[in-house]
Amino acid sequence: MSVKIGSTRRQRRTSSLLVNSVLILLVLIWSIPTFGLLVSSFRTKEDIQSSGWWKMLPHREWVQVEEFKTKDLDPNSVMTIEGVSGTFKEFRAGVESPDGTRVRWVGNKRRGRIQVEKRQWTMRDDFTLENYNEVLLGGSVNIKRADGTVKAVHGEDLSDAFLNSLAVSVPATIIPILIAAFAAYGFAWMKFPGRRALFILVIAMLVVPLQIALVPILRDYVKLDLNGTFLAVWLAHTGFGLALATYLLFNYISSLPRDILESAFIDGASHFTIFIRLILPLSVPALASFAIFQFLWVWNDYLVALIFIGEKKEVKVLTMRLADLVGSRGSDWHLLTAGAFVSMILPLAVFFGLQRYFVRGLLAGSVKG
Amino acid sequence: MQVKRTLWFLPAVLLILAMALAACGGSATPAPTQAPAEQPTQAPEPTKAPEPTKAPEPTMVPAVEVSGTGQPELDKALAGDYAGTVVTMFGPFTGPDEVKFNESVAEFEKQTGIDIQYTGSKEFETTISVRVDAGDPPDIADFPQPGLLGNLAKAGKVIDVSTYMNMDWLHKNYKQAWLDMATMSGSSGDIMAGVWARFNGKSQVWYPKKAWDEAGYPIPKTWDEMMALTQQIADDGDTAWCIGIESGTATGWPATDWMEEIMLRTTSLDNYDKWTRGELPFTSPEVKHAAEVMTDIWFNPDYVFGGREGIVSTFFGDSPAPMFEDPPKCWMHKQGNFITSFFPEGLQAGVDYDFFYLPPIDPQYGKPYLVAGDIYAQFTDRPEVRAVMEYFTTGASLKTWLASGGALSPHNDASLDWYGDDVERKVAEMVQQADSVRFDGSDLMPSEVGAGSFWKGMTDYVAGTVDLDTALAEIDAAWPHK
Repeated sequence: MSVKIGSTRRQRRTSSLLVNSVLILLVLIWSIPTFGLLVSSFRTKEDIQSSGWWKMLPHREWVQVEEFKTKDLDPNSVMTIEGVSGTFKEFRAGVESPDGTRVRWVGNKRRGRIQVEKRQWTMRDDFTLENYNEVLLGGSVNIKRADGTVKAVHGEDLSDAFLNSLAVSVPATIIPILIAAFAAYGFAWMKFPGRRALFILVIAMLVVPLQIALVPILRDYVKLDLNGTFLAVWLAHTGFGLALATYLLFNYISSLPRDILESAFIDGASHFTIFIRLILPLSVPALASFAIFQFLWVWNDYLVALIFIGEKKEVKVLTMRLADLVGSRGSDWHLLTAGAFVSMILPLAVFFGLQRYFVRGLLAGSVKG
Repeated sequence: MQVKRTLWFLPAVLLILAMALAACGGSATPAPTQAPAEQPTQAPEPTKAPEPTKAPEPTMVPAVEVSGTGQPELDKALAGDYAGTVVTMFGPFTGPDEVKFNESVAEFEKQTGIDIQYTGSKEFETTISVRVDAGDPPDIADFPQPGLLGNLAKAGKVIDVSTYMNMDWLHKNYKQAWLDMATMSGSSGDIMAGVWARFNGKSQVWYPKKAWDEAGYPIPKTWDEMMALTQQIADDGDTAWCIGIESGTATGWPATDWMEEIMLRTTSLDNYDKWTRGELPFTSPEVKHAAEVMTDIWFNPDYVFGGREGIVSTFFGDSPAPMFEDPPKCWMHKQGNFITSFFPEGLQAGVDYDFFYLPPIDPQYGKPYLVAGDIYAQFTDRPEVRAVMEYFTTGASLKTWLASGGALSPHNDASLDWYGDDVERKVAEMVQQADSVRFDGSDLMPSEVGAGSFWKGMTDYVAGTVDLDTALAEIDAAWPHK
């Protein structure tokens, strides 16, 4: 008996070890690029171009210890430099000497120099905050006036776009949740004719991609003079998010214990009272987890905002500002690293703020009890 | 229960806050619903004066020097007749270019009281078609690709500027080539679909001047000299050319520029024009020959930094960077003058880098210059919009931009002294003196080819997935049927 318990325990230990190592591997695969992006966001454009971000970590590398001119050397024949000999091609690639140094010809035959290098532990530490500075405060452009004066004009900072994104995301998260919660309650606990058909219709909406609705809705908005307003994008996100929200909340709300609701009915509570006093407080986990989904989706959305809000400065959202950061021809691509981390701050805060509901909410509807 | 109630309370407060935020945003700046110029149906004279978005500069600003244009609306505007009106503009330039544009029209706005509201978008090409189709066009739009404007002109969405502009002035201030390129077929007959506002020269070969002079390389005057120099640099142990054609969804466009340059240098202008109109197929011997001339440089691993794989996988903006390492890894880079904004910071024009004209191949075709540029097109017809369009036909509309760098003026009344950057002045001068000037062919071709199969075909060919004949046939196949 005891032997058997021991072996199951061992089995359990090996399987949990396996699971854990797979999990750790997955976490690494996901987080290493993000970490690289973070490191890159503190580097200058030239540094990013010339060396990988991992050079910021301690590593062994050939480091130049001595340098001299190539006078008196004939690159067209076999040369002997610092005790090692080779042709021009070999020296270009680097010739290693027995004492661990490497002699390298840098440059071409006309403008070359000789570098003597040693392998050493090294790391780069030239970080800069310039990218963040430019993203947050806007880069400055030197404008030369007709009268010869030069004026530094600052581009736009990020604060307007950040507030605009907030003004889009918060209502576009709360409105669909509210409506969907009402709808889910109705579908789950109210009896009316056609309930099943209506519900199937709502679920069917899940498979309709939002892209096909863009142009028709845009036409209606132009007719209604709604295009380019926050209301337009709130309504659009509400519509696009409603089907999934209703479905998720229905699953959760319909699985609430019937006894509680029945006793409330017997006590004379109306549907509205039950909804406000019972259903909403009980479904906070589901509401919160859907809120995270919807908020992240709206915050990161580019397409819907592009079509329905447009690029006007007063309403431009963060994702569009980020896209503009690279400049007309993409020469400022290095700013995207810092821009990405700035735009990540709020979603991260929302996620960590609501995460204790997240796991509970993810199970919403999947485990009926 | 208490905890849950506060939790419920939180989103409610957030919602109210966000809505208040949106409302405040609307009152502080003209909200989109009340921005008068946004609705093309609205009366031309909006009642609400726009709030100034920029604080007026206290320094002395010289008045706009525009006179003798004979353009009726412009003169009225300068007299202040349209003060308080708003003209919306939409274009693809963002970031520093947007700042430079706003600065360059600031004097005009101040003097006329017309508020030019520019919005830039990275998604200009897609957005402009959607906005025009949905009936929500800007007053004026900036097209970097005339082909796209051509589609809208054909659909009858663009206003014919020749109906109200003083044509004598246009002929005086633009070379005929520019006016010809602005003429497109409308829904009924040819129209002048816009005015050229800026351009950039493409036939430059950039080189790292300091290292170049130290190495003692000569500036090639003919194609043969350039090929000899290329071989010389290879013999010295370096690769001569920095080439990169990666550009996201537009990968391949620098290759099309090379093709156009070589076409201009190996065949007649007539053939070039036919080629851009689709009358001379890509499979014709002229085009194939141009591709072969290009192949001689591009496919030789001793000539190009990184070889063929390097060309395809290097971002075009990063490709000149090895030129400025010490010592340089490659020595020549053919690209439009905008590429200087991609050069590493702190480099000085004329000291650290310079350019020479991409030399002619066949002397009988002279010294052609390849250019690209931005044409401003008008979508709504109101007097103040006309005035702004007329303003853009003057060199004065670009003066500050020229001084700050990053643009070249197609206007005859723009003085070479206005350029703040010697390199750009040199480009402008060279274009003025060129034997012929032609526009970037891929921008003139319909977008299925010019922004599609031409890019893709060249990329496939350079990457080695198809041979030249297949690539050229594939490009031809995408040409839309007439």
